[in-house]
Parts: sequence; C-alpha cells; structure tokens
Amino acid sequence: MDEAQLIKGIQQGDRKSFQILVESYQRMVVNTCLAIVHNKADAEDLAQDVFLEIFRTAENFRGDAKISTWLYRIATNRSLNLIRNNKRKRFFQSIEETFTGGRNRNSEISENSGDQPDRNITDQQRSDLLHRAIDRLPEKQRIAFTLNKYEELPYQQIAEIMEISLASVESLIHRAKRNLQEQLLDCYKKKCV
Amino acid sequence: MVSYIKSNKMNHKSIHKDLIFYLDNELSVERKTVVEKHLEECADCRSILAFLQEEMQVIGKEKNPEVSPFFYTRLSAKLDKKPDSQAQSQWVRLAQPAFFSLLLVIGIYGGLKLGSNASSLKVNQPATNSVQMLNDFADEPIESFLLDEL
Repeated sequence: MDEAQLIKGIQQGDRKSFQILVESYQRMVVNTCLAIVHNKADAEDLAQDVFLEIFRTAENFRGDAKISTWLYRIATNRSLNLIRNNKRKRFFQSIEETFTGGRNRNSEISENSGDQPDRNITDQQRSDLLHRAIDRLPEKQRIAFTLNKYEELPYQQIAEIMEISLASVESLIHRAKRNLQEQLLDCYKKKCV
Repeated sequence: MVSYIKSNKMNHKSIHKDLIFYLDNELSVERKTVVEKHLEECADCRSILAFLQEEMQVIGKEKNPEVSPFFYTRLSAKLDKKPDSQAQSQWVRLAQPAFFSLLLVIGIYGGLKLGSNASSLKVNQPATNSVQMLNDFADEPIESFLLDEL
C-alpha cells in the first residue's frame, strides 16, 4: 500500500490503514520526541498524541508533502509544547516550594532518576549533561540539530519540515553545534562530570 | 616569552572552536590538517576532543529506542475514548480561567465596596457613640439587669 492509498484509507476512517501507518512510523516518531523531551514514557505518550492528531485531521492532508514530513512537524511541535508546559509547571512548583519549604522536590528527583535504572552513573551523568546542553539551545536550533543528529535527516528535508530555507538550516545547525560545544567545554573546564 | 604563551593560548582557543566540526568531518582540508597537527602535540586538546567525542556518542546510544509492543493497542483504546475527554478538557480549560477571573472581579468589587462603606461610617458616626454605649453598662450594673429579666 503506498502513501496516497494509506492516507485515503485513513481519511475514510479505515482502522487497518491507520494501523499500517502507525506500525511503519512509530519508531521514527518516538525517536524524534525522545530526542527533544529525553524521557521514554513522555516520548511514547507524545507519539500517541501525534498519531491521534493524524487520524483526526487526515482530511486536511493535501498530499503535497510526504507523510514523514507531516509527522515530524507535529512531533516536534508537540514535544516543544510539552517542554513549555513543564517549564510553566516547574515555575509554579518552585513558587509552591518557597511556601512549603521544598517538601515536594525529593519525590520529583526520585521520579526522574528512576527512568533508566540499569545504566551506570557515568553514562547517566554524560547523557544528563548532553541533554542539559541541548535543552539550553534556542528552540529552532534544537529542532534542526536533533532532526539532523537523532534522525540523521538531510538538511533539505529539515528545511521542508521547519518550512525554512536550506541556508537557514545550515546556519541553525552550525550555531547549534557551536553553542553545544561551548557549553560542553565550559563543563569540562569546571569538571562537572 | 609572554607573546609566545599568548599566541599558544589563542591557538588552543581557535582549535577548541573547531573540535566539534572536526568530529563531524566538516572542516576544510587545510583546517583539518592544522587541527590534526595541533592535536598531535597538545595533550590537553586531545583530552577535550575525547570528552566531546564521548558526549556526542551518547546520541548514538539513545537513538532508535525499542517502542512498547502495546503501542498500537494503547493508541487504539485512546482513539475509542478520546473525543469525550478532549471535549471535556477543552471546556474545563475555558471555564476554569473564566471562573477564577469572575471570582477575582467579585473579590475586588467586594473589597472596594467594603472599603467605601467603612470610610463613610467613619465620617458620619462620631467615635464617641460606641464609648457612650460602653459607659451605659457602667451606669447599670449587670446584676440589676439580670434581676430585671427575672
């Protein structure tokens, strides 16, 4: 079944076509979300929301772009939204903590550290450091960098997903690498790992 | 001597700037040769390069995670359920701020009203009235008041 047939099936509410689409692209969508949110459970939840959106808005799909481009666009937008919401929540939590004396903080830390229990501490520290550095990048640089590094997408496809020019993608990725390197070097000098 | 140290420091800095691009093989041939030559002589820069390399390898380890085997089953269940809860959550999302805004407006209005009443009381009623009331109790002892009740 080709992409056009799949989309036509989904537009008609055919669950079988939808299942084929999900099974073909689930790994790609989860990987994209994971690269941005760094938590597997959140990435899977986001990926599910991406596919739900695809099923519900399939009639709007004009077919002038590839399904993968459409999926990447929704996945990156939803991941960024989750990060923004988490930031907002953390802000209110920090206000709450100033009144409750930080009683809620311990439970949050134990939840995060329990995500990958089988990895040794150096690996965990290393990946935490990289995640922190990626999270500090401006949103556009972060998206371009993660699509290029985690999904190994060519610049042209990233340009289509982000709806910007090829030159802009090149510049975003170049600046992202430079910023990332600066942060990592700073950490190396301060011996934070 | 000072100028040698200074230029050497500058050289390190310029090499550091290019290490991530060196790892990704994105440097021009000439620049790559310069970086490689420097790396051969400088243990500090080699150590930084190794650190950067290890950090960037994290990406390779995290890439393409195994997706839960129940991914579609969960999705299918959500697809059957979602519209009600989504409609409800949208309603709640709209109603909640409206309710709290209304509460805030009522609170502010009530506060202003109370404030204006209090200030008008102050102007109209002299403070001596309440003092007089208290003094009435002094004139009539509580014992005689209770006896009258009986």
